[in-house]
Amino acid sequence: MTKVTFERVHKAFGAFVALEELDLAIRSGEFVSLLGPSGCGKTTTLRMLAGLEQPTRGTISVGDRVVNELPPAERDLAMVFQSYALYPHMTVAQNIEYPLRKRGVARAVRREQVLRAAAQLQLEALLDRKPRQLSGGQQQRVALGRALVRNPAAFLLDEPLSNLDAKLRAHMRAELIELHQRIGKTMIYVTHDQLEAMTMSDRIAVLDQGRLQQFDTPLEIYNRPVSLFVAGFIGTPAMNLVKGTLKADGNRLVFDAGGLSLELPPALVRRDVLREGGIAVVLGVRPEDVLLATDGERATVKVVEPTGHESIVFFDLMDHTVVGRVGPDVRLAAGEPVGLTLNAAKLHVFAAEDGRRLNADLQPPATQAAPSLVA
Amino acid sequence: MTNAGATAQAIAPRLKLSTQYGLLGALLIAPTVLIFCAVIVYPLVSAIYLSLFSIYTPTLKGSWVGLDNYVALLASGEFWNAFWVNVVWTVGTLVLQVVLGVALALLLHQNIVFRSLARSLILFPYFMSTVVAVLVWRWVFNDLYGILNHAMMWMGLMSVPLDWIGSMPNAMISVILVGAWKYFPFVVISVLARLQTIPDHLYEAATMDGAGWWGRFTDITLPQLREVLFIVILLRAIWDFKEFDLIYLLTGGGPVTATQTLPLLVYKHAFALNEMGGASAVAVLMMLFMLGFMLLYFRYGRATES
Repeated sequence: MTKVTFERVHKAFGAFVALEELDLAIRSGEFVSLLGPSGCGKTTTLRMLAGLEQPTRGTISVGDRVVNELPPAERDLAMVFQSYALYPHMTVAQNIEYPLRKRGVARAVRREQVLRAAAQLQLEALLDRKPRQLSGGQQQRVALGRALVRNPAAFLLDEPLSNLDAKLRAHMRAELIELHQRIGKTMIYVTHDQLEAMTMSDRIAVLDQGRLQQFDTPLEIYNRPVSLFVAGFIGTPAMNLVKGTLKADGNRLVFDAGGLSLELPPALVRRDVLREGGIAVVLGVRPEDVLLATDGERATVKVVEPTGHESIVFFDLMDHTVVGRVGPDVRLAAGEPVGLTLNAAKLHVFAAEDGRRLNADLQPPATQAAPSLVA
Repeated sequence: MTNAGATAQAIAPRLKLSTQYGLLGALLIAPTVLIFCAVIVYPLVSAIYLSLFSIYTPTLKGSWVGLDNYVALLASGEFWNAFWVNVVWTVGTLVLQVVLGVALALLLHQNIVFRSLARSLILFPYFMSTVVAVLVWRWVFNDLYGILNHAMMWMGLMSVPLDWIGSMPNAMISVILVGAWKYFPFVVISVLARLQTIPDHLYEAATMDGAGWWGRFTDITLPQLREVLFIVILLRAIWDFKEFDLIYLLTGGGPVTATQTLPLLVYKHAFALNEMGGASAVAVLMMLFMLGFMLLYFRYGRATES
């Protein structure tokens, strides 16, 4: 069991800063996803841990050992590449056996370990095939097998599911979770797919432009995103974000956005951030927190996207497009007038200037009233 | 094209669509077939035909001798000597070309300074006309004023000048060296092109799996180069086997017949001994040897397809 630690790790390629002062402590046996859009530094982070890139400065440790100066092979880490990187001229068995062969493991022991890894991944029938004779999912499993057979301290996975079709991806996701539960090793998983990160991880590190935005459990990240970027990046459909002004009016807290005026729970934001004359903010509300209510504010249905188990609905609310999700039994048609309210317990407020979260984040009372919408 | 289209249309009502397509196809490949017959089949058949005659080259008149030319050749020491010389030259120069070519391709694949310049310069020998190249090399090898002898004596590597072209085994070594120098760029560009397509991920995976630089070379690079090396070696073997101008210009086949390969023997029979029949017979026998290479090529092609 091995923890992995990044301390003030910085990486620059010439003038381009790929990763800025990263501090990250991954616990032993944890499944951690590095999540972010392309170019956010997540793959660079993984490659530095693997030893395929050198950090400009900072310390990387595996267990209690600083690995900065260790060659990749001596870090006791196994990596699964996005392209799988299977050796094309070797059979499945030879591919899985390769890291053992390079470490001078005796032939009989190798054979036994290959068979055990193959059994774990249902590859027994494919051992004599070449990689090009395998499907994407099978190649993926061989790549996993090659990592597994080494019994490494931690697994590094670089977008391993991105080359698979949607159905297979869901299947392999479940297999990976199951594998992690079974072997209990530290796994560090790079992905740009928030669904993968949310469903598989113990904790997620969200990165943007080389900076760590938030490192927390999937639910915490979903419910309390620390920045506008995290709020917009996590969740499908994305969180509704409305720019406006937030003003304290005596004991009331009022949000104004060109024709749309909302009274928010007074305790929603920290008092110290409010200024005379109001501050520019972005109000965030998740689609499931946009609620249909007969006495709510008047809105019009623009588009309905039924998915079977629910429908994604685009509403026009005072010239703002707001996305909501409704149950499969709710029948709505484009142009239909409806009433909307927002779930006051689940509103997010971010500063417009730097995107930081302004919520007071005291556990809101369960009986909080819905905000009244004043046109 | 227009003719073929018009013809196809004119007979269209009477023929089935598949027949029309078949006919059109035949018309379209007809020019290629005709050219192929004119430049390959006709010379080939006529060479075989000529080899059955005793022909005096200047007048091209001769008499039917059947297989006598072949019988005489196969019984002559000169033919087998030429064959042996041919094998030594081909194997020698080919090995040098491949080793040198692969080594330089690996070097040029690295991030070295002046890489683009080096990549262009390396092609220079291949582009140079053989006549010019050989004249320069003859000057380098010259036993009286050649720079090679001068340099080696200056460095103290030898005390008396060597005859690089006029004595054995120096002449064979010289021919092999010049051949390797002239043709290794072909190996370099073919191998370099393949090297550039090997994904970096394979090397990174091998590095993480514990392979050192030698392990990465033998486990990743060499297996990935296998196919291109097979083709390159086969093509170069065929081209080297029938090489004429380089050897003829450098040594003329000498000293005596020490570097006289089969193509030089063909030339000698045709234009020095004025026996076009005998020359054709040597050429036909040479073709039979090369057929071996061709069969190998086809077999390999079929193996990689399946």
